[in-house]
Amino acid sequence: MRRTCRHGVARRRASWRDLAAAVVAAVGIPLMGGCGIPDSDVVEAGGPATVEAFLNRDADMLLFFRSSDGGLSPVIREVRPSAGFGDDYIEPGAADRGPSGPAGPAPTEKVVLALLSGPGEADRAAGLTTALPAVREKGTVTVEVSSDGGVTARLPLAVQGLDATAVRQLTCTIAYNQTEDGRGVVTLRGQDGAQRSGSCGLAPGASG
Amino acid sequence: MITVPRPGGRSGRADGAGPAAHTRKRSRVRAFGLRTRLLAAFLLVAAVSAGTTSALTYREARNALLKTAQDMAVSTFRDEVERTGWRLPVEEEGIEEILRDLARTGKPRPWVVFAEYGSVRASSGENPVSSVITPELRRAATADRYGSFQRVVKDGVPYLTIGMPTVFRTGPDSVLPSGLVLYAVMRLTDEQVNVDALLVAARNGALPGLAVALVPALLAARSVLRPVRELRRAARSMGSGRLDTRIPVRGRDELADLADTFNESAGHLERSVGELRDAEARARRFASDVSHELRTPLAGMLAVTEVLDEDADRLDPDTAQAVRLISAETGKLAVLVEDLMEISRFDARAAELNTDEIDVAETIRKTLQARHWADDDRIRTELPPGIRARLDPRRFDVVIANLVGNALRHGGAPVTVRLRTEASSSGTLALVVEVADHGPGIPAAALPHIFDRFYKADAARTRSRGSGLGLAITLENVILHGGTIRAGNLPGGGAVFTVGIPLRAEEAGR
Repeated sequence: MRRTCRHGVARRRASWRDLAAAVVAAVGIPLMGGCGIPDSDVVEAGGPATVEAFLNRDADMLLFFRSSDGGLSPVIREVRPSAGFGDDYIEPGAADRGPSGPAGPAPTEKVVLALLSGPGEADRAAGLTTALPAVREKGTVTVEVSSDGGVTARLPLAVQGLDATAVRQLTCTIAYNQTEDGRGVVTLRGQDGAQRSGSCGLAPGASG
Repeated sequence: MITVPRPGGRSGRADGAGPAAHTRKRSRVRAFGLRTRLLAAFLLVAAVSAGTTSALTYREARNALLKTAQDMAVSTFRDEVERTGWRLPVEEEGIEEILRDLARTGKPRPWVVFAEYGSVRASSGENPVSSVITPELRRAATADRYGSFQRVVKDGVPYLTIGMPTVFRTGPDSVLPSGLVLYAVMRLTDEQVNVDALLVAARNGALPGLAVALVPALLAARSVLRPVRELRRAARSMGSGRLDTRIPVRGRDELADLADTFNESAGHLERSVGELRDAEARARRFASDVSHELRTPLAGMLAVTEVLDEDADRLDPDTAQAVRLISAETGKLAVLVEDLMEISRFDARAAELNTDEIDVAETIRKTLQARHWADDDRIRTELPPGIRARLDPRRFDVVIANLVGNALRHGGAPVTVRLRTEASSSGTLALVVEVADHGPGIPAAALPHIFDRFYKADAARTRSRGSGLGLAITLENVILHGGTIRAGNLPGGGAVFTVGIPLRAEEAGR
């Protein structure tokens, strides 16, 4: 009799303890868990910011080099009418246009040659490199635009051995030189007769 | 040894052990009592509701606060970034100036702006690279090209970090990622203060809520406990014999029903007990009346038989024997009637103690002399002188005479009468009289009933000289003195009756 009594009391005590724990849990956890300002996940807040890059399509050319994170970085270079390739381009900002005035959109051949000559000093300072092999002798680049908007470029180098970044450098440079939005299929044809085609696809979103 | 229990109801001390047991039970009940449980339940409900409400309110308010700050910061940062112009590739020189300009425009408060482009790292602060910006935010900004933000708590300080990738226009409808990503890091100290204030407010709101919850809890406990307490008091009062106890019925709840039922049952009980009492009283009165009615004719008969006894010698032997038989039986009848009347007086509670300060040894000796037992060699006495007590001499005489007579009649000689004093368990001094014989003793089966009325220990001897009431009267007399009587057997054979009477009988008695 007494034993059952004590047992009952013990059980009741235990249930009270459970109850107290439940109260602490019910009240405490929402308060404790939510105290102060908590961490959060990364929350998307709209698209990127559009900055002014002073791109003048009539006077500038757009080259794509490899960024340190492996992606492509566009570089804006002013075209000088006499510019061939090598280092004799005009630094952006040091806008001293030639006596012949604005040269108009640079021909794609010229732009591709500028790309093939590799990143300039300023580009290298920003950590930009190229995935394209150095072209020693002055080759020729010919660009044909077909009626459906596709572009075919003959390049003075072997296309077969180029890695994906190199192909994209060429494709994007050519595509953005041809059109404002860089769309359209570019076909690269090398000295080795190999042929690779693709589109740039750097524009954010489908419509850019 | 058998201790004869005192008849219940006669003495109010039957529940002498009661109060201690009551308090023990009560204290245990109180620890988990109704009041405690009701208070706990109310507090629990109040705590849960107040806690939940405060927690939810606090959380919503905090989130709203943070959302406002974050949205403002992100949109401001985007607006300000869109006002900047960059030459590509981004050059390290001059960049910090732009970043410092950006840093000044921070809303709701200044931020530190970091720029990452290729291998270029720059900031408006001291360190070109922030230690707060997480790889996840960086990935969202560089790979997914979304403006995004993240709250980071570092060393207990909450920061808002915003990652903003940039694009530039290549035409009226087309943009191109520039590769430049700008980050803003803003301390959320003011927000922290506001959020802390919210928390304090939530807590301060919850605690008075708990205090307020105590009031209805106490009221509810009172409304339950008061009827319960009344019920307990009533039950106890009924238990102590006040059958007319009733509870006031308040309201129409279950407790009122209980009180109603209690009153009803109490009424039934009172009626039943009343009827029983009436019947018992009638029966007693009847026995008493019968005894009284028998007394007068018996007195006459006794007078006649005395005369007949004297003249018996002159009668012829057969008639003389008959006359002597009638005489003896009449005498027995007279004793029986006297005993019945004595018992009736006890039953009617009309027996009174006429106490006197007496020398106990002397009184016992007188008793033996009066019965012509003083010189009887069947009786031995151990009567130490000097024991004085306040006793009713007549009743004490009846006790001793009954016990000694009983021993002589049913036990074997010699009969020993022993007087002594003894300290009882409660510490008071008691006088003890032992009457022992050397007969066969009392059968074990008879021991519990030895003091019952008309009980015959030896079934074969149905016609003894006793009335059958002697020991019952002895018991009543001892109890009237506030004493006890025990019957038992000696190890060497023979019965022993032990009478214990407290020496201060006038205090122990009524």
